[in-house]
Amino acid sequence: MASSVSPALPGRVSFASLTHQNIGTVRKLNSVLFPVKYSDKYYQDILQTEVEPFFYYNDVPIGNICCRLENKELYLTTLGVLAPYRSRKLGSQALQRIIEAASLHNKPQIKRISLHVQVSNGDAKRFYESHGFSEAGIHKNYYKKITPQDAWILEKIIEHGPEQ
Amino acid sequence: MSSQILAQKERKLFSELLQAYEQKQLSKGRKIADQILKKHPQHGETMCMKGLVMVHLGEREAGISLIKDGMRKDLQSHICWHVWALVQKGEHNYEEALKSYTMALKIDKDNFNIIRETSILQTHTRQFDVLLESRIHMLRLRPYSRVHWIGVALAYKLAGNTAEARRYLDHMEDFLRNVPPRDTEYGELVFFHVRVLEELGEFQEALTLLDKKAKDRMLVDRPAIAECRARLFGKLKSAADADNAQREEWTEAAEQSWTELIDQNPDNQDYYKGFLANAGIDLDSLTDESRTKALGILEEFSSRHPKTNTYRRLALKIAEGDKFKELVKPYLERALEKGIPSIFSDVKNLYTDPSKLQSIQDIVEDIRLSVSPNDQVQPSTSADPTYYLWTLYFLAQHYSSLGRYEKALEILHSAMEHTPTLPELYMTKARVLKRAGDSYGAVRAMEEARKLDGQDRYVNTKSGKYRLRAGMINEADEVLTLFTKKGVPANIDLLDMQALHYLTEVGDTHRRLKGYPLALKMYYAIQKLFHNFREEQYDFHLYSLRRSMLGSYVAMLGWEDDLHSHPAYIHAAVWTARIWILLYDDPSIIKSLHPPEPSGEMSKKALNKAKKAARKATADTSQDYDDASSQKVRAKQNEDKGLEAPTGKDDDPEGLKLVSADDPLEQASKVLGSLGEFGKDDIDVNATMFDVAIRQKKYLKAARELRRAHARDPHHPEVHVRIVQLARTVASVSDVPEPVKSVLDASVAGLKPVEVSLEVFNSQYLQRHSLSASGILASAKVSQMLDTPREEVENLLFTTLTDGVQLRLEDALEILSYLSTIQSPRADEFRIACDARFTLSKVFKSEEEQAVLRRQCIDPRDENEVETVF
Repeated sequence: MASSVSPALPGRVSFASLTHQNIGTVRKLNSVLFPVKYSDKYYQDILQTEVEPFFYYNDVPIGNICCRLENKELYLTTLGVLAPYRSRKLGSQALQRIIEAASLHNKPQIKRISLHVQVSNGDAKRFYESHGFSEAGIHKNYYKKITPQDAWILEKIIEHGPEQ
Repeated sequence: MSSQILAQKERKLFSELLQAYEQKQLSKGRKIADQILKKHPQHGETMCMKGLVMVHLGEREAGISLIKDGMRKDLQSHICWHVWALVQKGEHNYEEALKSYTMALKIDKDNFNIIRETSILQTHTRQFDVLLESRIHMLRLRPYSRVHWIGVALAYKLAGNTAEARRYLDHMEDFLRNVPPRDTEYGELVFFHVRVLEELGEFQEALTLLDKKAKDRMLVDRPAIAECRARLFGKLKSAADADNAQREEWTEAAEQSWTELIDQNPDNQDYYKGFLANAGIDLDSLTDESRTKALGILEEFSSRHPKTNTYRRLALKIAEGDKFKELVKPYLERALEKGIPSIFSDVKNLYTDPSKLQSIQDIVEDIRLSVSPNDQVQPSTSADPTYYLWTLYFLAQHYSSLGRYEKALEILHSAMEHTPTLPELYMTKARVLKRAGDSYGAVRAMEEARKLDGQDRYVNTKSGKYRLRAGMINEADEVLTLFTKKGVPANIDLLDMQALHYLTEVGDTHRRLKGYPLALKMYYAIQKLFHNFREEQYDFHLYSLRRSMLGSYVAMLGWEDDLHSHPAYIHAAVWTARIWILLYDDPSIIKSLHPPEPSGEMSKKALNKAKKAARKATADTSQDYDDASSQKVRAKQNEDKGLEAPTGKDDDPEGLKLVSADDPLEQASKVLGSLGEFGKDDIDVNATMFDVAIRQKKYLKAARELRRAHARDPHHPEVHVRIVQLARTVASVSDVPEPVKSVLDASVAGLKPVEVSLEVFNSQYLQRHSLSASGILASAKVSQMLDTPREEVENLLFTTLTDGVQLRLEDALEILSYLSTIQSPRADEFRIACDARFTLSKVFKSEEEQAVLRRQCIDPRDENEVETVF
């Protein structure tokens, strides 16, 4: 269950970090949300990142947002919400949280968040664009086992205030 | 006094020896003793003291033998007897220790220490009459100490003389001076005093005392004051000699106390019950009028305590019909919308009323329709998706509790499709499968829940339990290691932690797998734990009195006396006895347990290796402890080992010695005897006692047990079978003397009409129970006993498969096991038929099929995660 439980109010969203104990929940979410399968190494990598990767709606785990740090960039590997819980701006809240976390991140300072979207998925592209992402190119044959194989590369440059 | 006189110098040395012992300077004591013995080698008291010191130092055998020698030299010494009593007490041999103390007291009758020790043992062994003498003696010796007055009052109370207890308490109240306010020990004494007055029916005096002490700020426990007042006013009211004006006043006062209690803790249902009882409402026999009144009163609390559900829950128990529906609907809606996982277990005991069950089902089904996801509706206006989810979860548990397992699974699967990440869904699926007879599927489902949340204690515990149910003992221990100490095998640590539910499950699992030695070992381990619970009260006899924790102490003594009524104890005792009976009836079981000598070189090696491993597994910990302690001994020769007899190493880890006892019936009888009166209302206990007694040819006892069972349920299948068994036995025995014989005949006549033959008796029973599988089985067993051809018995048993007969899974299992007991060639046919009948079950699969299922159910590989993209 969620580690950060607050008094029950309808529509309450909370986040939790990933541990060896609850990684099965992320696997389960990925298996129903995405058409691709992820390796053990993938899960080991996301265990290393500090962001809280999955989120709860009324204490039920219903979505995840996973990313990994690559040099001074944050690469967003997955963002997904279970079908019955969509259209409630839960994904937006999660993405906004990541963007804020990235802009506050020090050592190293994060310059850019990037991600891939399959070229058939216009809805997803528009979703990211509404959060300030823009297309940075097309990655040919990005996907090996699903079609279409091409993917858009989307990015968002992070503005940092003056050093504190 | 001692018959041996020491010279003055040695006399001084001897008192130094006593002092050294008191201060636990053991090596020093030993040196002094040796010094005395050099001069007076035959001095009994010194020999005993030296022996005692040696026992403390771990030289148990030599020490005890020296003590015995010393006693022989000087039987007139209270010191010798005192030493001997200490040793016996260390061996938990309380009756004998008490005798030794009594001897010591004969010699030195005002020795306060010995009287105090005696009084503790007398309490421990519940000899309250002599306890009273000891307590009075102690008071006479030390009359200026409050604690000895309390001691006498308490002893009178325990001995059942409450009036005399009161006299001492009243007297004490008169002479106690200068007690500081808010002294908790004194406060406890006052509550005890009030209790005693209450038991004597002196409610007014009890109340006066309570109020006076409360006013004087002597009592700290405010809820206890209010509970006590509320109770006393209630009792005053129901006393006969009160006039109406008084009654009214008391009712008001009681109401005030109950209200105060509810305001302090609005979640205690008992307070509402007290409030209602005070208003003249008897919840056990409600009328239409009092029902309405009760509901009205409860409703008033909603403005006072809007956040509490307790009175709403109580109202659900009271309300009926439309009023119930009106109340339960918002109750359920609120819980499901909030997502309270326990709402089903909260309301399920309302299901004893079928109409309430139906109302709840209708309401929750309606909720499901109204909150199910609908594409046309805007998400912002539609219900929360979790509302729908928890509704499905509720319904799955609901249908599972009604035995509608397919329906429950169907609902769970749609819930999992909706939200596949909620562990509760998989846990419930596991429970449904377990109930439906698929213990392997249950393990698998529980494992899925564990993968979602590996640190949930409840899930991990259940996972261990379900693995045991599937016969996977090692795999269960693997999960349970999460809870146990590192470096100690889980089973040993769980025994240390007195985990009754675990030990019970392991015992049952071994039994189901026909591993009788280990099953017996577990059941005995459970009984030993209860023995330990009894032992543990020892320290409280002195402590509770000294701290005047009298109320809780008296309650604890009562609890200890009822220990053997605990279901886990009864379960362990009954199964212990049943296994002994099994071993008595079929001694070949024990022979088959000792594996034949392996012939080949390889197998011998393998066997040794396995033995070694098994030894290592069980002995590892005790080895560690031993090593550690022997090291400590080297470091600290002077260390006190206490007087407790050391527990030996387990030299029978497989339980093979245990089962080889040559008097299985005696063992069974002993275990059942330990139940005392507690099992007398339990048909399982009666039946098992009967089974032992009839084999021991103790016919009167057998008849008595059967009469008890018969009185509870004359149509119980186990009773029916035994009536016939007893009738046949009584008819056939010839070596029973006359008065006994007529008693037995009369017993049988009371159980079965004399003019009816056994055959007719059985067919009448069958007619009556032809639609119940367990009834048919009982009748078949009797037919078999009456030498009916096996084919007929089989045909009868197969009628349980026909339509209209109520055949539960457990009945089917019993019938199957009975068919193999009578070596029926049709056993497999029955098994296959059941496998088809109980569609979800796996218990009716063949051994080989079950072995495969067992292997598969905790396969570490997950189908979801093989390929790799990133």
